Amino acid sequence: MTQQPLIQVKNLDLYFGAFHALKNVSVDFNAGELIGLVGDNGAGKTTLIRVLCGIHAPSKGEVFFDGKKVEKFHPKLAIDQGIETIQQSVGLCDNLSIARNFYLGREPVKRIFGIPFLDFAKMREKSSRVIRQFGLRENVSADDEVERLSGGERQSVKIGRAVEFKNRVVIMDEPTNHLSVREREHVNELAVQLKEQGLLVIYITHDIFQVHKLADRIVIMENGEKVADASTDSMSAEALEDVIRQGGRVVEKEAV
Amino acid sequence: MQYLVRSQGFGATVGVIAMLAVFTVIDFSGWWTVQTLSNVTQFTAILALVALGQALVIMTKEIDLSVGSIYGLTGVAFITLEPSLGVPGSLVVALLIAAAAGFIQGTAVVKGELPSMIVTLGGLFAARGIIYVWTGGSVHNFSPDARTHALTRVLGGELFGISAAIYWVGIISVLLAIMLWGTRFGNRLLATGGSRESAESRGVRTDRVKTAAFVLCSLLAGFAGILTLCNQPQTHVTLGENMELEAISAAVIGGCLLTGGRGSILGVILGALVVVSFRYELIALGAPSSWYITFVGAVLIVAVIFNQKLARFLGHSV
Repeated sequence: MTQQPLIQVKNLDLYFGAFHALKNVSVDFNAGELIGLVGDNGAGKTTLIRVLCGIHAPSKGEVFFDGKKVEKFHPKLAIDQGIETIQQSVGLCDNLSIARNFYLGREPVKRIFGIPFLDFAKMREKSSRVIRQFGLRENVSADDEVERLSGGERQSVKIGRAVEFKNRVVIMDEPTNHLSVREREHVNELAVQLKEQGLLVIYITHDIFQVHKLADRIVIMENGEKVADASTDSMSAEALEDVIRQGGRVVEKEAV
Repeated sequence: MQYLVRSQGFGATVGVIAMLAVFTVIDFSGWWTVQTLSNVTQFTAILALVALGQALVIMTKEIDLSVGSIYGLTGVAFITLEPSLGVPGSLVVALLIAAAAGFIQGTAVVKGELPSMIVTLGGLFAARGIIYVWTGGSVHNFSPDARTHALTRVLGGELFGISAAIYWVGIISVLLAIMLWGTRFGNRLLATGGSRESAESRGVRTDRVKTAAFVLCSLLAGFAGILTLCNQPQTHVTLGENMELEAISAAVIGGCLLTGGRGSILGVILGALVVVSFRYELIALGAPSSWYITFVGAVLIVAVIFNQKLARFLGHSV
């Protein structure tokens, strides 16, 4: 692949106080790729994507987006660049309606006497369409508060939101946790669809076997380090699982 | 009907109806008289303005204990600066002082990541101390000229026998309701209170939202102080003492949940009406005025229990 990577992470270090959370991590992410980011709890997967979506700024090292060096890290900037993150427990405000959540941070407005008021008709219309498309219960409306929704429905709203706004990167942090089997399949299909539309999809999970079926490439994190980075054609899920099981040390030499 | 029950102001509505029914049946002092109603509504309007600002802060899941002192400080500034700046000038400067107080406290809360209860407790003492130093403990009055100034009359006079503060609270509450439910800022304010982390992840600058809420809260408290002094242009060092407790009570009785993200503008006004009516009725009863605080406390606790039960019944996670 000769194209320049959409996101390029170079020698990234991140400290939380004395804790060395990310150690010299370098990864390339290409557009149109579905990448499985795998590792045990505390391996640094979520920390890495939190840098990409602007929540943490790196202590050392560089991040390039679309060939340009990222100077400032803030969630708003990441969203403006078209990086959408679907996080496990964060992203929806329980006290607001689905429509209000859907557009939170980029609410459409209609000017009346020059004053920008929320455009409720537009907010309702688009979020209602997504609700139907993603198979939420029949009696759920765009005006209902998010706290009425089940875990799967919440996930659907978040993914629907990511699809609806024309994004370039969709990061999914354990998107199938707490989901029923059917909901899980649905989410996985969506991830593949997004990739086929030319987006970069970063899919974070514990389950190497599940993501191996979907992904083009698997990146394994362990203890804040990248320990493997291999295409799914070149390494089987079993071999990759061995990497995780052995903490990356032994197989690292073979994989490189 | 369903909308009424679901709105956060439901508890306060029930409370006001019950209270008015009781005061009608057990009528000690002539409740339904022009004199009583005009006094109660005047005080309600002033407290409601302070409580509305408080409500905005509570909706972002913070609290502002300094409103009583800011109310007093702004009023003192307005009266004492008038001889050198004139009425319009001192109005603007006094409001700027209020806004600055809100900005400083809000910034300390969000940038210092400090609990607002502590920061604004500091604000309460600091602003009260400035009042003592500024006035030297003495009483200040408006000059006769300033009392008859058009602006003083607009802020503190009467129209059709109804005092100006009531018109002001009407206008401001409508504007606040539109801002809260109909604009981007309102949506983000409610989101910040509902889940700061989620709002932040959607690109909402929650620190700016919170700071803005503190500024608005101080501005409203300061404006209420100015309205009071335009009505009775005389400062004393205890101006606005204990008002933070009344304002928080009014906001909570009015259905603002301290867990953030939920509240009602109408509810807060009704909450202020409950607090003020109790004060008035107890005084009319001839009860020692110190009992009043005890009663407010009791009503507050009942209101919190009621509103929380209601919220749980409606399935809110509180």
